[in-house]
Amino acid sequence: MQSGGGGPQNVFMDQFDLEARTQRVWDLNHAVWFTLMGVGGGVFLAGRILNLTEGLGYLLGIPTVDVISFVAIAVGGAILVVDLGRPLQFWRAFVNVRTSWISWGAWSDLIFLVVAGLLVLPALSLGGSEPFSGLGWDPHGNDGAGLALEIVAGVAAVVVMTYAGAVLARPRAIPYWNSPAVPLQFLLSSAAMSVSLVMLIEVIAGEPVSAGQMVLLGVLTAALKVAVVAHLRTRRDAPGKAQSLQRLLRGRHRFVFVWGVGVAGTALPAVLAFVGAGAAGARDALAVICCVLLVPGGFLLRLITLRVGIYPPVHIPSMGRPRSSAAPAESLGTAGRR
Amino acid sequence: MTRWGMVIDAARCVGCQACTVACKTENQSPLDAWYAPVVEWEEGEFPDATLNYLPVLCNHCEDAPCVTACPSGALKRRDDGIVIADEEVCIGSRACMTACPYGALHFFEDRGTVSVEGAPAEPAPSVPERYAHQSHVRGAVSKCTYCAHKIDFGIENGLEVGVHPLATPACVVTCPAECRIFGDLDDPDSNVSQYLSGHGPGEVLRPDAKTLPSTQYVGLP
Repeated sequence: MQSGGGGPQNVFMDQFDLEARTQRVWDLNHAVWFTLMGVGGGVFLAGRILNLTEGLGYLLGIPTVDVISFVAIAVGGAILVVDLGRPLQFWRAFVNVRTSWISWGAWSDLIFLVVAGLLVLPALSLGGSEPFSGLGWDPHGNDGAGLALEIVAGVAAVVVMTYAGAVLARPRAIPYWNSPAVPLQFLLSSAAMSVSLVMLIEVIAGEPVSAGQMVLLGVLTAALKVAVVAHLRTRRDAPGKAQSLQRLLRGRHRFVFVWGVGVAGTALPAVLAFVGAGAAGARDALAVICCVLLVPGGFLLRLITLRVGIYPPVHIPSMGRPRSSAAPAESLGTAGRR
Repeated sequence: MTRWGMVIDAARCVGCQACTVACKTENQSPLDAWYAPVVEWEEGEFPDATLNYLPVLCNHCEDAPCVTACPSGALKRRDDGIVIADEEVCIGSRACMTACPYGALHFFEDRGTVSVEGAPAEPAPSVPERYAHQSHVRGAVSKCTYCAHKIDFGIENGLEVGVHPLATPACVVTCPAECRIFGDLDDPDSNVSQYLSGHGPGEVLRPDAKTLPSTQYVGLP
């Protein structure tokens, strides 16, 4: 692709091109957003499923794991809003629930924050008093109303963990993204990150990490590894995906993907988790190491997935290959350069 | 049912870029946003080298992924098949841009204003309705509309769409090689249907994306 040296750049080369082009629309902000949403929904679920909400400390009377979940989703949502071209119009993101996964995500974020917030509201402690303790449900879901709120919040949390992957996977424009493996990876990564974070909170709170938790973490991380590898091995020659794979495995993202995601972000924590399940003495330390590896690994997985989003050429000529392209602005603005 | 569409005979294109400039002039598209450029590429080696041209624009897909992805409902497919972006409704999520296989959507980033001597730095505060399509919203996405304002004007005034210059997309009107034909794809007697029947079935860009484009090609290199 010619870039024109110091003269005017080819102004629309990024939009229409006969060469594969990398998407540059979503990048770091979206990777942070995706990660926080995954962790936010996952920590709530992990805390509830592992029945660890009550023993790991409280902030204002609310279990620490729930507070972390709310903060992660609120911050992730705020990043998304700030990243919009027109942030003050953010409410319109709720409109197109019929087809848009972003709308589904916006609703699931909202429903989760409202319902999970309501769920824990009776436990809220302000200045030694519990002003909402009269509300008629148990904040830990031990009665009918509390359990109903917990289930609704849990379903919303699953959508929160998954929808970012679905946003990428639905359109066919970018072959690397257009696969159920992407939302599956995001879901498994969110689950693994969240379980490891809950275990980190356990260690900080002085509670012992159980062998079962380590096995669960190992299974989730191993499943994530399988999902990543399977995605790498399907439709390898498809236009666009072939370029994505080239960049992941041999190109500029090789080091980060192979070592950051493939080894440190999945393989190593999976091994350490299974080792920790059988080594009671080292279990807490291994749980902390797993968390330190998995959370950055999950973030890198999302960031790299975004950065290898490559569109195939809009048209593949029947003969020969395009060697260069030119644009009218360049042609008109610098007549005679070519 | 009317389904407006465009047939581009790529073999006729001479690469003059008149369509690119006509579109820019007609729609006053934002800085860096070119709705209808002509892509050029070389093929072969000297002395057997050729220069190929491919006019491109929004494909106004029947199964438009941009419409599906848009969370705010700003992108809509009209009953006549034209896909439009309502910039006032757009929130700037750019989900449409990642979903479009053709790169046909353009985000109007605030990169300051172009300084042209004598020209106002900002758009006039009130834009006459006739020129509303030339007013763009910062932080929103814009795109080719097949010059829907011209088509609507033509229908309101009884002009033949795709034939009368005031009722035909600017790129079609200005093309000196007549490589763009615009009309009703659902009408077997329309100029586009007739052209397709005389030049073989239309091809589409990125057929793997299965978007059912209304912009079709003949004579693709």
